[in-house]
Amino acid sequence: MSHRAQSGAAHRRIIVWSLLSLLALTLLLPLIPYAVAYVAPVAGGVPNPGSDLWRAVREGEAGTTQVQGVDSGILINASGETWRHFRMQQLIPLGALFMGSVLALIVLFFLVRGPLRIQGGPTGKKIQRFNVFERTTHWFTVSIFWLLALTGLILLYGRFVLIPVLGPAGFGLTASACKEAHNLFGPMFLVAILMLFVTFVKDNFYARGDMMWLLKGGGMIGGGHVSAGRFNAGEKIWFWIAVLGGLVLSVSGLILDFAVFGQGREVMAISHVLHGIAALIVITVSFGHIYLGTAGVEGTLGSMTNGYVDEAWAKSHHDRWYAEVKAAGSAEHETAPVDDGSPARDGVMDTRG
Amino acid sequence: MFAQLVDGIFWDIALWVFALGVLWRILSIFRVRNKPDYSVPRGSGLVGAIGANLRRFMPRAEMVSRTRLHVVAGYLFHLGLFALLLFAAPHVLFIEEQTGLGWTPMPYWAFIVAAQLAFIGLLLLWIHRVMHPVTRLISDADDHIAAILTFVVMLTGCMALIEEFDGLRVLHRFMVELWLVYFPFSRLMHAFMFIPSRAFTGAWFGRRGVKA
Repeated sequence: MSHRAQSGAAHRRIIVWSLLSLLALTLLLPLIPYAVAYVAPVAGGVPNPGSDLWRAVREGEAGTTQVQGVDSGILINASGETWRHFRMQQLIPLGALFMGSVLALIVLFFLVRGPLRIQGGPTGKKIQRFNVFERTTHWFTVSIFWLLALTGLILLYGRFVLIPVLGPAGFGLTASACKEAHNLFGPMFLVAILMLFVTFVKDNFYARGDMMWLLKGGGMIGGGHVSAGRFNAGEKIWFWIAVLGGLVLSVSGLILDFAVFGQGREVMAISHVLHGIAALIVITVSFGHIYLGTAGVEGTLGSMTNGYVDEAWAKSHHDRWYAEVKAAGSAEHETAPVDDGSPARDGVMDTRG
Repeated sequence: MFAQLVDGIFWDIALWVFALGVLWRILSIFRVRNKPDYSVPRGSGLVGAIGANLRRFMPRAEMVSRTRLHVVAGYLFHLGLFALLLFAAPHVLFIEEQTGLGWTPMPYWAFIVAAQLAFIGLLLLWIHRVMHPVTRLISDADDHIAAILTFVVMLTGCMALIEEFDGLRVLHRFMVELWLVYFPFSRLMHAFMFIPSRAFTGAWFGRRGVKA
């Protein structure tokens, strides 16, 4: 080979080896930190160039985005999983346990104690306890409350109870209907609670004797007469649970229902938790109220249906109120006076045959 | 199958029963004639008829305290229902499809307000009817069925609002059909008769020079 040909071949060999070396360096150099970490690992492991970004995302740091909206800069709602876990693992099972336990206790109490009878039996003489407006307000609140309670319980427990019965498609339709009804009747419940509050609040403040009534269990435990005014301590407690619980339900419900005032996901999640807890508490306590107003205490239901109770009932359960009514001096009537809806008058009706 | 019946033949039957029933009831009432009144008229019957119609929109001053809830709830219900029936977007679209006549529906927030007021009014009115000893005694099945049927129509309508499931729309339409069939044979006819009724009373007394 001539000198010229020999130098040309060498030149080509240099170029090829240079290119191959460059390629090798390009591929191998980035692996050096991993090799070093493998041989001599550092505390915290191999730093991932993307880890800072994902740490910020996981911690809920807001980024920049072209999308306009509340929370649109938050890539992942990290607290959403916490909320979902609470709902599925705590609220639902513990709520069912709470409601079921109270229902079982009420049934057991009824089987053991039986209904509380009127001492000495009814006299047949009636005394007005609630006027038309008070009863209308009560049943208005009840009807809205139970529509909301039923639809709300279907939304919370429906997937466990109704899917096996209706199937997924049937439950989807039911849940959609319940959600719309629940959302629509929610604001009405605030109106009802305010009406209830204004109508009954004046007789539901603490009065002398309420503590004694509580200590004696209202006469439910061990029997015996316990003095009370128009409302006893138990009724007052229920009133305030209903009103305050109802307000929590209404406010949290309105936040959830009308999510157009800048509420973020965290506010919605907190509202949902408060709404669920308050709903389960109020529903469960209402079981006791319903029991005592119907099967639990003889002669009570009439107070909310026709507005009248037997005088013996009034004397044994609300003796101080009965004394006030009698002292007001209304004459006994042979027939019930016409109730025109004005504030309670001291009407007495004689139903003796 | 059921949806086809509801959207088809059931709707036609309901409309015909409603239209013919209302017409029959109105004609049968107007066919009843009073004995001729030979007394010298002291006032105008027409003025009395118009005056009674306008005056009866509000209770007499002496009755206000006794009828406050009734009047307020009554207006809430009727005005809310009127707004829902004629200005809710799904109804406006439906009427346009059926008749070709369309108009601007009310915005969503107004629909919610109207629905709330209508429900509050209806519930208060019906519960008050049951609670008041006088109205409880004079109410019969017709009164309760009319109230409950109207409530169910409104409730199913609101359940179908987001139009996600055709089954809910069909249920609402079926309830409406039942309501239309029931209407001419019930006290719901007051919707057509309240004006002639007030007018008759107003004219009768107006001719005698009495403001009824």
